[in-house]
Amino acid sequence: MDMMAVATIEHDAELMLRVREGDSQSFALLLAKHRTPVIHFLYRMIQNQAVAEELAQEVFLRVYRSRASYEPTAKFTTWLFRIASHVALNHIRDGKHERNQESLDQESDEGMSRQVASEAPTVEQMMVREAKFEEIRRAIQLLPAKQRAAVLMHKYQEMEYAQIAAALESSESAVKSLLFRAYETLRAKLAHMAGRE
Amino acid sequence: MNAKNNQCPMQNGNAEILLSYCARSLEAEQVAQIEQHLTACAECRAWAAEQQTVWAAMDAWEAEPVSADFDAALFARIASTEQPSVWQRWTEPVRQFLQGGLGWRPVLSAGALALTLVVALSIENPFRTEPVGQTVKLEAQEIEQAERALEDLEMLRQLEPPEEETSL
Repeated sequence: MDMMAVATIEHDAELMLRVREGDSQSFALLLAKHRTPVIHFLYRMIQNQAVAEELAQEVFLRVYRSRASYEPTAKFTTWLFRIASHVALNHIRDGKHERNQESLDQESDEGMSRQVASEAPTVEQMMVREAKFEEIRRAIQLLPAKQRAAVLMHKYQEMEYAQIAAALESSESAVKSLLFRAYETLRAKLAHMAGRE
Repeated sequence: MNAKNNQCPMQNGNAEILLSYCARSLEAEQVAQIEQHLTACAECRAWAAEQQTVWAAMDAWEAEPVSADFDAALFARIASTEQPSVWQRWTEPVRQFLQGGLGWRPVLSAGALALTLVVALSIENPFRTEPVGQTVKLEAQEIEQAERALEDLEMLRQLEPPEEETSL
């Protein structure tokens, strides 16, 4: 890497380079910063909190194990979400995802109760929000895995097309196509929610 | 295609700008252009309204809080995988060499040691002893042979004529 590249290196990549040199404190900083977005991404992909955390452990373990060969060729978050996408898509491909669905309903109900409890809504509001939440969750769950990953990175991680493409190891045009198809499906399923609360 | 259609993202294959508008990721100048277009284009207006509904619905989907022991569990896993196995300890010099971390000398030493072991194991060991079972069997055979030889001598002696008779 030349001096120009070193000068413009982003902070996360700099921390990762320190991890490569054996600085475990820098790894703790990276973990503190990226733990929640990675777990939330995996949770929305798999829709099971316990499995999402288990997969997130795998993601950060892979990050740590890759420290010796790490080169800041891309933005750190792009590299991190490439690992996270791999782990999630492999998990879904291996069919483990379906086995987790049984516990999903119970878990989502618990999650919903937690969300609405803090805002003290009326029973009616609570039922409407529960139905809405369930509809959104189902609509996203029914998207093909790669479309789901693209939408989640675009919506919740606010990643650019190029970053999503790098994370999914696809071309930028393929990602745009994935996103348009995914949002088309979601619009068809969720557009009726306009003005509903 | 008229002038209005030339500016329409849906008509000129630039729908991603509408998506970016709904994602609120456009610069102020572009936002103003799109909003101006939306006042005149019903198709784009409907599309944007639906997309914004989806966007708002997705905003409502909050993720679960992360377990308090997540970091501790991760660091425990890292610590357990960081313990090198016997095999890793033996192959470490070769691994480091392949990664360019070491010079030739340790690898040559390791290679020489491995070669010596192979040669030593392949040649016959001069101090090798017979198995115990086989030794016992040989000893038994030798005793039996000695006994048989003594019996044969005794038999020959009995067959020989007495000395007095021959001298006569």
